[in-house]
Amino acid sequence: MKKSMLLIFMLSFLVAIMMTACSNNEEAAGDGTENSQSEGGDSNDSQGEGSKITDVSEITEFHQAPMFDELDLPAVTERLPNVPKLTNEMPEDVLDYEIGQYGGTLNTVTAQVDWDADFFVVNNEPLLNTPGILGEEITPNILEDFEMSDDQKEFTFYLREGLHWSDGEPVTMEDFRFAIEDVIFNEEITPIVPTWLKSAGDASKDPFEFEVIDDWTFKMTFSEPYGGFPMQLAITNWRGYADLLKPAHYLKEYHKEYADPDELQAMLDEEGYDEDQWVSLFGDYDITEREFNQPKSQGFPVLNPWMTKEISDTYYLFERNPYYFKVDAAGNQLPYIDEVRSNIVQDSEMIGLKVIAGEIDLSRENSALPKMPLYKENEEKGGYIAHTADMHLTPSDIFFNLTYEDDVWREVVQDKRFRQAVNHAINREEIIDSIYYGFAEPSTWVDSTFDVDKANQLLDEMGMERGSDGYRLGPDGKRFTVPFEIAPFAPDFQPLAELLVEYLGEVGIHATTKTLDQALWSERDAANQLQASIMWTHTVAWYMNDFGQARWGKLWNEWWNSNGEKGEEPPEDVKEFYQILNRVNVSTVDEALQAVEELKQNMNDNVWQFIHIENVKQPVVLNAELGNVTADAMAIGVNFSGEQWFYKK
Amino acid sequence: MIHYIGHRLLQLIPLLIAISIIAFVIIQLPPGDYLTTYINQLELSGTKVSESAIVALERQYGLDKPMYQQYFIWMKNILLHGDFGRSFSWNEPVSKVIGERLVLTMVISIFTLIVTWLIAIPIGIYSAVRQYSVLDYIFSFIGFIGLAVPNFLIALVIVYFVFDTTGIAITGLFSPEYADAPWSFAKVLDLLQRIWVPVLIIATAGTAGLIRTMRGMLLDELSKQYVVTARAKGVAEKKLLFKYPVRVAVNPLISTIGWTLPTIISGEAIVSIVLNLPTTGPVLLDAFRTQDMYLAGSFILILSILTVIGTLLSDILLAWVDPRIRFGGVEE
Repeated sequence: MKKSMLLIFMLSFLVAIMMTACSNNEEAAGDGTENSQSEGGDSNDSQGEGSKITDVSEITEFHQAPMFDELDLPAVTERLPNVPKLTNEMPEDVLDYEIGQYGGTLNTVTAQVDWDADFFVVNNEPLLNTPGILGEEITPNILEDFEMSDDQKEFTFYLREGLHWSDGEPVTMEDFRFAIEDVIFNEEITPIVPTWLKSAGDASKDPFEFEVIDDWTFKMTFSEPYGGFPMQLAITNWRGYADLLKPAHYLKEYHKEYADPDELQAMLDEEGYDEDQWVSLFGDYDITEREFNQPKSQGFPVLNPWMTKEISDTYYLFERNPYYFKVDAAGNQLPYIDEVRSNIVQDSEMIGLKVIAGEIDLSRENSALPKMPLYKENEEKGGYIAHTADMHLTPSDIFFNLTYEDDVWREVVQDKRFRQAVNHAINREEIIDSIYYGFAEPSTWVDSTFDVDKANQLLDEMGMERGSDGYRLGPDGKRFTVPFEIAPFAPDFQPLAELLVEYLGEVGIHATTKTLDQALWSERDAANQLQASIMWTHTVAWYMNDFGQARWGKLWNEWWNSNGEKGEEPPEDVKEFYQILNRVNVSTVDEALQAVEELKQNMNDNVWQFIHIENVKQPVVLNAELGNVTADAMAIGVNFSGEQWFYKK
Repeated sequence: MIHYIGHRLLQLIPLLIAISIIAFVIIQLPPGDYLTTYINQLELSGTKVSESAIVALERQYGLDKPMYQQYFIWMKNILLHGDFGRSFSWNEPVSKVIGERLVLTMVISIFTLIVTWLIAIPIGIYSAVRQYSVLDYIFSFIGFIGLAVPNFLIALVIVYFVFDTTGIAITGLFSPEYADAPWSFAKVLDLLQRIWVPVLIIATAGTAGLIRTMRGMLLDELSKQYVVTARAKGVAEKKLLFKYPVRVAVNPLISTIGWTLPTIISGEAIVSIVLNLPTTGPVLLDAFRTQDMYLAGSFILILSILTVIGTLLSDILLAWVDPRIRFGGVEE
């Protein structure tokens, strides 16, 4: 029995080797003519899968997808930049890169007409990169390299020579200059230069200065040290390249300073814009990374792996970009997958149905742990695998709005002891078991011990005595109530709120929960009208600068961000939090990571909000046939590496 | 008659102005605007929206102007250019957003209307003529269930049932292989195969209601003296039935055209959401939720105009079909 199994195994292994060898030969034969110009001169195809190529200069032959063979395009070596990016978008120790094969369509699904988060993440290309989106190191991407001066004020960036837009036009310094001088520094288009482009990421400081050095090099200079700037280009805000790099040859037609006035007027008339609305017209045609699911994205030159091909009411179809700049170690131009179809459904519940029916090849943004049993049940029938990867957020942090306009409320919740008491009243184990099926751990951001006695002791210390009904009284002598207002942004919020009402009741704090519509919740949040609620924060993806500060101290946050013009001045201990946060924002990677540790300590001491669990898992549903995927990473990082996925059959 | 129609048309003008103002104001009543929703969406995904972007967006959408100015600009463009403004979330002219979905919506609605009538009228007549027969009881029973169970629930049950037994998600109007194919004969056939599910589901409530109305109206008529007289004079039963009482009993169909017209283009929102149909219904619902005000406002305006015109039409038709109404009007 054992022997026959072994035999079968050996046989199938052999067949697999033969098949890959065959397909390799075919590719080589198909592109024979194009290989002559490649850098290393003639060499045979011997270094296929086996030998590890780690430097792109070792690649001698480049191949293209079969769908380009019949098209009248320049040779693949001419389409690629002189130094293409040899890719592995995941950290080496997490994913052993496999050479893939071309073909297939990737189906994603969204319930929003103009936004498909999963496709956006798959397709996005930043100027620089941080593998696995961990924020631990910064690697080249569209830019081949960068240098930072010792004083962290001057940044020199090197573009990949010979890089092309998807329409075949070369990418030049004029494209950078146009994006910077004619868009960022054009007051009509950009009334206020965004903060992240100002020195030290500080709204009150001057913006950068831009200087072209030569055809492939430019420099950005800040007046203050800004070591965190490369991280801003790599991942912060999920930023793509479009802020600093735009296809000038395409967009000048719509820009008042370059466009022919009559033609511009004709276009304005056609779109139903007034004469002074050229900025709106320009904005429509200037497709940034978040706008691929918009009608005008058709024909817009991009640097991303896929570009818009077809648009309809129910889907967006994207096809591969013939000028994409990434290759694998065998010299195959990426992406492997021919097309991506972003399906639009009328409601988010429909997404789950499509997923379990096996119609979707990638679903992350709308997958949720509570649905895991449903995914698993239909896994085999649907031909997908529901991976549990790491989450880049803590998904359900509980916050009290410390700046809500009510004196009694403020007096109580601004008392650190109250927050500590609540923190100790939360039963993490129960939450993790009942809501997260065990796919989470008690948080280390705050003291996670469940200790009702200590909570009671702290509350007694505060002088919050119990009234006749057993609930504690506020300083005004009336029953103190924590009114949770929850919106169903995620399926775990409502059950968690119900548990919280129970936990707070155990220590004598009266709490209620109410569910609001998402839009209404947002309005109330913006208007500082929420008292207590639940929302995720990007504590894991630290470079996003989101530790809930916009919610637990709404007015303080406004004050800090507006340089004291709006909001309310925070007390000293909160200022300390913001000073550390600022260092996270502007420092180089190592220093920033250190500052994150300090921030964690600060959070631990003050319990600004209740980050009750961490290391939470997020389901990523992926077609079972996809290669080069791993679940041993951040889910959104997996999502980021779509250009290297391929269908095994 | 012409005088009467002209008079009615003139009355419409102030009514429509009032409707347009109310439509515009109601949409803006909730706190915040489209931008609040939009910015919040971005922020929840970890994107900081810069002050500069907010100012630029406000200007682009014209949200920095006071409400009455926004209204006048909107009305001016509708009246002078037939331009209903732009939808914020679609970033396209409203007419295009609605227009693209109108054909499918109308196909479904008209199909539904025809199916409703085809089923309900014969059954209604049968139930009235054979009152308290076994079939009458069965039809009444089914009819009450159809009336009582909401359409979307029937849709949910059917979607679940089909998925559970076949593993196919019946969503949308086309099978996957035709979804992105250009229009062709095969695609139309594909559509015709799938359209029955929403049509039958949406038709249930309407059919059930109509059966009850037909039955009731006809029962009233059948017991009237002229029927007895005609029967006594030996008029054949079939001719008797269809020449007089049925014609009178059909009146409610005509008088409800006023509501039928707007439903043809509004698309059954909730059923469309459950069955994932690209009709106008979900678009309207979404426009309200996100305060996409020109899209929502134009939609309400168009629906109101259709209701008003529909009511006028049914009045005219009724007067034409039913002499009693016509003469009643003349006397006055």
